[in-house]
Amino acid sequence: MDLIVTKGITKTYNPKKIPVHALQGIDLTIKKGEFTAIVGPSGSGKTTLLNIIGGLDRQSNGTVWVDGTDITTLSDNKLIDFRKNKIGFVFQSYNLIPVFTAAENIGFIMLLQKRPKKEIDTRVLNLLKSVGIEEQINKRPNQMSGGQQQRVAVARALASKPKFVLADEPTANLDSKSTTDLLDIMENLNRQEEMTFVFSTHDQRVIDRAHRVITIEDGKIVSDI
Amino acid sequence: MRMIIKIAWRNIWRNIMRSLVVIGAMVIGIWSIIFLVSLVNGMTESYIDNAIKNEVSHIKIHHPKFINDRESKFFISDVAAAKSIVDTISGVKAVSYKTIINTMISSGHASRGITTIGVVPKNEVKVSGVSQKIIDGSYLFDTKKNQILISKITAEKLKVKVRSKVVLTFQNLENEITMGAFRVIGLFETGNNIYDESVVFVLQKDINTLLELNGNGHEMAILIDDLSQLEHIQDHITKLFPKLLVRNYKEVQPELALFQSQIKMAGIIYMVIFMLALIFGIINTMMMAVLERVRELGMLMSVGMNKGKVFMMIVVETLLLAIIAAPVGLFLGYVTTSYFNKNGINLFFYSEEGMKQFGLDKFIYPNVHTETYWQLVVAVSLTALLGSLYPAWKAVRLRPVEAIRGSFKTRAGLLVSLFNFLRKKTS
Repeated sequence: MDLIVTKGITKTYNPKKIPVHALQGIDLTIKKGEFTAIVGPSGSGKTTLLNIIGGLDRQSNGTVWVDGTDITTLSDNKLIDFRKNKIGFVFQSYNLIPVFTAAENIGFIMLLQKRPKKEIDTRVLNLLKSVGIEEQINKRPNQMSGGQQQRVAVARALASKPKFVLADEPTANLDSKSTTDLLDIMENLNRQEEMTFVFSTHDQRVIDRAHRVITIEDGKIVSDI
Repeated sequence: MRMIIKIAWRNIWRNIMRSLVVIGAMVIGIWSIIFLVSLVNGMTESYIDNAIKNEVSHIKIHHPKFINDRESKFFISDVAAAKSIVDTISGVKAVSYKTIINTMISSGHASRGITTIGVVPKNEVKVSGVSQKIIDGSYLFDTKKNQILISKITAEKLKVKVRSKVVLTFQNLENEITMGAFRVIGLFETGNNIYDESVVFVLQKDINTLLELNGNGHEMAILIDDLSQLEHIQDHITKLFPKLLVRNYKEVQPELALFQSQIKMAGIIYMVIFMLALIFGIINTMMMAVLERVRELGMLMSVGMNKGKVFMMIVVETLLLAIIAAPVGLFLGYVTTSYFNKNGINLFFYSEEGMKQFGLDKFIYPNVHTETYWQLVVAVSLTALLGSLYPAWKAVRLRPVEAIRGSFKTRAGLLVSLFNFLRKKTS
């Protein structure tokens, strides 16, 4: 089943002044259950592609189909709802809410989805267990290590029961052990729950674990292995 | 909404010092407004009370022509009988009647024009506060003829003292020049110099004899129990005496009403100035709070928090600051006002002559009406709400994709970059 389909995606920054062509006609299909890494040198356009797939940015041309919906036609408000219900995000610098505990950080997306409190509590606990930090449940981000914070971020990304998770350089700020632990967790989730993961990365450890590696250079896909 | 309140509440305490500065500014602002308004209220009430007690009473009755042309012939007939009618009106506290003429007062050293008021002491003491302002000698009493009560200032100008003799010269009803010798029985000082140097008091029967005015008088002064009944009682009296002019104190001395309205306006102006100062403080603080949290706001919008909720979060955060500050400021204001309301503030300590000239008492008793507290609650809430709009608008204008990476093309972005750079440098 095709989960993400992009056709002829282009993205040009500053089109009227000094145009920068970040993406130049990307055709890509990602199926459900894939564990895909988008790689390439800095400035190659991998984060831009991830942002467009995630509905955080708009393409200049082309179409993006996610779970059967052409997200390029959605209004800003519908796109926000779409992101809330269909996509999980993991960011390079974790981006947890500093005033919330681990449990609250994970649960708050479900509050946005207006899920019942009982369901939220149960799912938060299960997610914390699945990322192996249930003992950190009541700790705030500043009381956790980088690796632990990124695990909370993964749990948060999964909380809304998304169709897939987009992770932008998720291991960039982590040490070796934390990176391995995080990749183990994500790989397990991919294997056991068939969760689709799409990474942008230039971390070789991530590339080595990815089932599919798409290389982008100068805004074009140069290899897809 | 609970989630928004929860985030907003915790965000307040992320930077305790900054939040305390805003809360402190609000507390001081609220407190100072309450104190200022209470002080001004105290001064107004003192000024008006003094004017009512010493000069105008609540209601005055005259012959209609007496107001513009102060001639003795424009009198109220059988004024004692008129008094007994007014006495029966419900809500009337006290009534006195007087004879008022323009005279020349002379001593061995000087003479000056002055208004002589002929009174019946037993009535007058119930209406006027002058009997309580005697600083030497005594007040008038019924049994002794040709006594005169003058102010300390007049005594100084005429160079007389208690028991000295003065002469009053005036025209009687037949327009003949008449004189009468009076002995100073006492000196008074009301605290209002302008009033003090313009009047002297004698017994009505003495001056009426000289004037040949018999049982008539020029004025009836009425005090009432409840000020809210003023217009009602005034209407009642007007119906009883349709040929006489019945006026309340605001009509007798329009400057009192003007003073009252000016003071009210000044209070509103203080409040607006306070709100303006506060609004910039709030905008500044909340902008800092937004700029400090750009990445977080970007994340919230990325994962599905809509712009309305982000906007609401900033507004609620600001309102919570006001909700913390308002009760503290109101309480401090209440405590301070209550203390000074009980003990008074000695204004003569700063400017005795100035205050006397203005007609104020030595002690001012600050007083705040309940409505002021409510007005402040509304004003502070409104200020917080208005102050939060711009930062909240800035927050929702952030593009998640830029905010989350901290790479802005907006001025806010540049500020964030600068802020982060400085923070790194200092740490």
